[in-house]
Amino acid sequence: MFYPRWIVNLTKGPAVLRRRAATRGAKAPMPARLFARSLAIRHLDAGSCNGCESEIGLMGSPVYDLSRFGFSFTPSPRHADVLLITGVVTEAMVPLIRTTYDAMPDPKLVVAVGDCAVDGCVFHGAPGVVGNLAEVVPVDRWIPGCPPTPDDLVDGLLALVGRGASAPGEAG
Amino acid sequence: MAHIRDLEEVSLLSICREAAREGQKILDIFPAEGGTSVALWGEDGKIVERDAGPGPHERPSRCGFPSLRFSEERDFPPDAFEPAAAPRAIIGEGMHVIPLGPVRADVAEALRYEMDVLGDEIHSLTLRPGYKRRGVTRILQGMEPSQAVEVAERTSGTSTVAHALAFSLAVEHALGLEVDDSTAVLRSTLAELERLHSHLGDLASLAAATGTIVAAADLYRLRDSVLRFGERWTGHRYLRGLIAPVGWRRTLPDVSAELPSLLGTVEHQFQVVRHALDHTNSFLDRLHGAGRIPQEGLELVGVVGRSAGRSEDVRWDRPYASYPELCYGRLPAGFAAGDAYGRYVVRCEEIAQSVAMLRRAGGHAAAATPAAERGDGLGYGLVEAPRGRLFYRVALRGGRIAASRIRTASSINWIAVPLAVANRNILQDFPIIDASFNLSVASLDL
Ligand code: SF4
Repeated sequence: MFYPRWIVNLTKGPAVLRRRAATRGAKAPMPARLFARSLAIRHLDAGSCNGCESEIGLMGSPVYDLSRFGFSFTPSPRHADVLLITGVVTEAMVPLIRTTYDAMPDPKLVVAVGDCAVDGCVFHGAPGVVGNLAEVVPVDRWIPGCPPTPDDLVDGLLALVGRGASAPGEAG
Repeated sequence: MAHIRDLEEVSLLSICREAAREGQKILDIFPAEGGTSVALWGEDGKIVERDAGPGPHERPSRCGFPSLRFSEERDFPPDAFEPAAAPRAIIGEGMHVIPLGPVRADVAEALRYEMDVLGDEIHSLTLRPGYKRRGVTRILQGMEPSQAVEVAERTSGTSTVAHALAFSLAVEHALGLEVDDSTAVLRSTLAELERLHSHLGDLASLAAATGTIVAAADLYRLRDSVLRFGERWTGHRYLRGLIAPVGWRRTLPDVSAELPSLLGTVEHQFQVVRHALDHTNSFLDRLHGAGRIPQEGLELVGVVGRSAGRSEDVRWDRPYASYPELCYGRLPAGFAAGDAYGRYVVRCEEIAQSVAMLRRAGGHAAAATPAAERGDGLGYGLVEAPRGRLFYRVALRGGRIAASRIRTASSINWIAVPLAVANRNILQDFPIIDASFNLSVASLDL
């Protein structure tokens, strides 16, 4: 039942990009492209409510199909190019975030996913909550939303590597 | 309904007297919070009242009440997580420990597992939670209910409606208020919509864990269609920002024409997927007998409880919102065998139930209404979240939350995971057993 959509995607470019281009207009790609094609993503939960994980999980579903951009999730940080961090950043997770980050080979990028990772959301100032990921590791891109939709996430990841909505045909 | 206004020191005796005067059951005011049954004994040593689950394994395991004394500064006692397994003491040649997490799997919540294995066989599993404590009850303290409901919604993202609803019911109980019928119907509709997408997601991860990726893809797609419907209707995929104590936060359009076609599609396509899975031996072989909960009498709740011999379901036992009119087709006790297959079957049946309930409920329009009144009181809210019984207790003082207590289904059911995993399973079963439970870590580490 996916074939009609698949054919449309092939001829007109991926639906995600078309949707984004229609609603938000084109984005300027990053000047220097660190990564040309495929990206290995390591996800790290730093105190989320599971809403963000739920949306990240859906990115792999046929509706969004992250893999057609050459993106994949990796179980090991040693294979990862991108660290995707969700949640409020609890104190217990701070050393683990650093260890995971240090274990990744250069070049590497960090993405903060969800309002929680951006500023702590409603948990800002709670005991045991750091609430600002930038204090722990350098952050390359913030994807706000509570939770950000899979569309937002795909869009954010493409923009991270300079393959934003301005290049619709480029499907990995 | 009796409402307790005196919050300085809640006196058990005075509450009991008040209840007795009004001819009310005391355990209606203080129901069992978790899976643990509560019983009240008379002076003659006979049980006068009991609460929680008419399941066959019911046994009163706690006498009297949980601690009810609190003051404004003090929180309700925290729920310590006690793993049922004894501390690790397995040593010997060839035994080794496999640590897993808190950064684990592809996309997963932060939790550390430590498995003692000999060759492939798992001999024990120790859970080490606590990485994602966000101090939910702390942050609730001093908030107004309209603000606090936003925190409740973010306690467990995939059970947003259940948390908002349990919290709102607790505040309404404390203030002695009730919502009108149309709000009650909408609340049940949202709760069932949430159960539908949550169960579809749980089954999708189970299918993914067993390597049946076509079924997983179909289930994820169905789940996304439910989430998208939620977004079109309410403006939020996870139905946030709607339910509030006494009020209703956003104006909703009427979707009673659209809902049946969504339900028809979901029901039909789900049946197709289920039929395929039910005839896929590689799927069934991985589930039958895997992760069987060995111990009877564990007071488990929700899907896990219903797959292990209990029949407890708050929607039937203590109907709230518009469930008195919606509920039918209750799963009988002892419906499933307590293994991964049992949990799969219970989820499948509950998807059918939810679809039927949603058909009855329709999808009405709603207008935003003003938020809660101010006042003092102590109240509780009890709902059946997608993962099971969810309990909120709040104490209000001067229109603000003085203290609160949350008991989630996951905080009860995690106890069964080490027992089920260390029950003659091998390492390769672990991801499947984990996915068949699919419990929330966020609701354990509050
Ligand atoms: S940003 Fe929202 S959805 Fe994501 S973890 Fe935080 S509260 Fe949950």
